[in-house]
Amino acid sequence: MSANKKLSKKNNIILCVLSVILLAIMFFPLYWTVVTSLKYEQEIFRTPPTFFPSKINTASYVAQLQSGDFNMFRAFGNSTLISLSSMLIAVILSVPASYAIARFRFKGKKLCVLIFLITQMLPVSVILTPMFIIFRNMGLLNSYFSPILADATIGIPFSVLILKDYFASIPKELDDASRIDGCNYFSSFLRVFTPIAFPGVIVCAVFSFLYAWGDLAYGMTFIQIQPMRPITAGIFNFMGQYGTKWSYLTAFAVVTIIPVALIFIFMQKYIISGLTSGDVKG
Amino acid sequence: MTYIKKFFKNDNVGYIFVFPALIYMAVFVGYPIISNIILSLQDVTVRTINSPVKPFVGLNNYVELFMDNVLRTSIINTLIFTVFCLIFQFSIGFALALLFNKKFSFAKPIRGLLMMPWMIPITVTALMFKFMFSSNVGIINFILKSLHIIRQPVDWLTQPGTAMAALIIANIWIGIPFNMILIATGLTTIPDDIYESSSIDGANKIQTFFRITVPMLKSTIASVLILGFIYTFKVFDLVYVMTNGGPVNSTQTLSTYSYKLSFDLFRYSHGATVANVLFVILFIVSLLYLKIFYAEEGSK
Repeated sequence: MSANKKLSKKNNIILCVLSVILLAIMFFPLYWTVVTSLKYEQEIFRTPPTFFPSKINTASYVAQLQSGDFNMFRAFGNSTLISLSSMLIAVILSVPASYAIARFRFKGKKLCVLIFLITQMLPVSVILTPMFIIFRNMGLLNSYFSPILADATIGIPFSVLILKDYFASIPKELDDASRIDGCNYFSSFLRVFTPIAFPGVIVCAVFSFLYAWGDLAYGMTFIQIQPMRPITAGIFNFMGQYGTKWSYLTAFAVVTIIPVALIFIFMQKYIISGLTSGDVKG
Repeated sequence: MTYIKKFFKNDNVGYIFVFPALIYMAVFVGYPIISNIILSLQDVTVRTINSPVKPFVGLNNYVELFMDNVLRTSIINTLIFTVFCLIFQFSIGFALALLFNKKFSFAKPIRGLLMMPWMIPITVTALMFKFMFSSNVGIINFILKSLHIIRQPVDWLTQPGTAMAALIIANIWIGIPFNMILIATGLTTIPDDIYESSSIDGANKIQTFFRITVPMLKSTIASVLILGFIYTFKVFDLVYVMTNGGPVNSTQTLSTYSYKLSFDLFRYSHGATVANVLFVILFIVSLLYLKIFYAEEGSK
């Protein structure tokens, strides 16, 4: 139980082995998906199943490039465009908002925090139908704007709540010092505070991007034109059409995971700090 | 003009910084919430969506839907799904947090890697589990058969009970990292000397766990469970992709039922009504969460 006690060599090895086994179990679905995407269709149906492809097949990936039916790289591009745009909106709006909440005392501040807390917990389904009707009336259905605008509503509250803790952790004296140096509120926000809170800004950007990247409901509801749909909606469509063509489907899944895996590998520190709500040390 | 300048001179300048985000949320979340309530009191279907005057029907939609079995089934299904997911996610997450709290060589890197399932788009997770649970090529049936637990392949996703079980298992996989990391963070706040003094007092591991760890983590546990409830109760993508609420509504949840009414059957007002039921339930739970933790938030 005691965390500080040094483990004996034997216990260390036992725990290492145990944790590797647990990791293997948790990662099995991912491994299985990657392996399946590299198998030939006949091999996927073989019993007993093979845990490594006997012959590597990349056709499932290549076919996607050529077939006009559903082009996953096009969908990948759509998702990238949608996620980056909604990430930008979320970051641009939430950085100043969280700065204000952390640094200034004004009436209604608590209410602001409360609003962001509640909207963060809101299910997508509650605003889906009215949003559909609103975007329909505005003529924004079947355009990239509708999912971009909708996805940002997930990123903003999360970002504000994370970033306000970053801004609050910066010593107040810095405020006065920058003021003496002739900065007004806006320049001290842009030149002094935002650079210091930059790790927090990255956490927000990463999460806003990931929320938008993983979105299915908005993308598939607001965009009905297949070539414009994001990759998640594409997969869903594809599953309906080619229900058991698992080599294609898993290839599709792998392509969707790639950016997530890259972000995960390079930004792990930020992600974990974001998950534990801005409790960043170092 | 000078009045405006004066108003924003001191701390009130905060309004300028916070307004853009607030206005955005008001337009794209606040307004839809209100129009969702109005929508649920009207009769808007694919036929009336273009007419300028929408018929007002009062609480008729609520009465109609509560008389109908599917809404009640959806509420019960959502509750069953949430409760089972929470029990397993939480206990497995807790166990893993305790394990990775020990200082062995691989603790940090592996704990980090275990976060991965949480980040994968749920559509992809649903696809992976649909594949693993499929009756003819699914690896799960193969494993169970090799272990002689089943004789015939199970049609997991096309039978009521097993379909729900498959969804719960998939969602547990997603939820474990979230539970683990939050509890692990909570564990680091317990000072080591408390454990030392308890071991000097001769407490065994089980006593230490129930007398020290659990009480010290009370607020972490409450927040993990309530947040977990909120995030699990609103499940949509996973169910929509894996079973689409079937077979015969046996895995229909509030989110998927609302979606089906609005976008498969084009009964927009009915969809909005079900969404509102979901909203009310989660709003109450969110308020409970805020009531417990708001004091802490406000003091920051």
